[in-house]
Amino acid sequence: MAGFSDSLRVAASGMDAQAQRLRYLAENIANVETPGYRRKTVSFVEEVGRGAPRGAVRPGPLRLDPAELERIHDPSHPLADDDGYYRGSNVNLLIEIADTREAGRSYDANLRMFEQLRQMSSALLELLRR
Amino acid sequence: MFAGLDLFQISTAMAAHAGRRQALTATNIANADTPGFRARTIDGFADLLQHAGSPALRQTRPGHLSSSGTTGQAKSHDAGGQAAPNGNTVSLEREMVNAARALQEQARALAIYRHGLSVLRLAGGR
Repeated sequence: MAGFSDSLRVAASGMDAQAQRLRYLAENIANVETPGYRRKTVSFVEEVGRGAPRGAVRPGPLRLDPAELERIHDPSHPLADDDGYYRGSNVNLLIEIADTREAGRSYDANLRMFEQLRQMSSALLELLRR
Repeated sequence: MFAGLDLFQISTAMAAHAGRRQALTATNIANADTPGFRARTIDGFADLLQHAGSPALRQTRPGHLSSSGTTGQAKSHDAGGQAAPNGNTVSLEREMVNAARALQEQARALAIYRHGLSVLRLAGGR
């Protein structure tokens, strides 16, 4: 039974990590038009210590994409320089949407795992009933 | 059939094996996007039982080494497979199949256990 609750925590940590990733993706998509915004990326690392079950995952440190900011020509923009250009964000919507899909799919997989683990532990408890 | 209650021991070991397999699958899926993570898996219960065909070492204390498959635990090993560019080898499809298999294995083990129990009850006249 202890194995099941550990596995449930592992699956929950996976959902947590994916939800955090989805949050950063939402920030990126919301800020696609913000001048000077750098897209946020996060990688996952294995959770160690602090009583975490083996194999649990957590989001790693937040990183800003160092890619070149887009140069946009708009002389009427308040941030435009002498040549009429200003720096936009380096968010590529296509990449963000693809990443969102992937995160959603991983979240789903974790959720399904969670349900299945719960189903298995309740099947075990069913044995106690007559 | 019920001499030594082997049936119960084997079905308990089978349910435990299913639980371990499910735990590994949960770990693999949770780490489906962790760079450098390698998927792990364990052998099926049938293989485990076959290896246990040889006479078991006698255990007189719980701390003693066990050689028998019904009480021993399957060792997990690298599942292999194609690695993604970030070095991760988890395939969600394979893990889904493993999860379904574990669920089925556990259901079968519990059904056998419950059936054995009801036969015992019947024999006991209750």
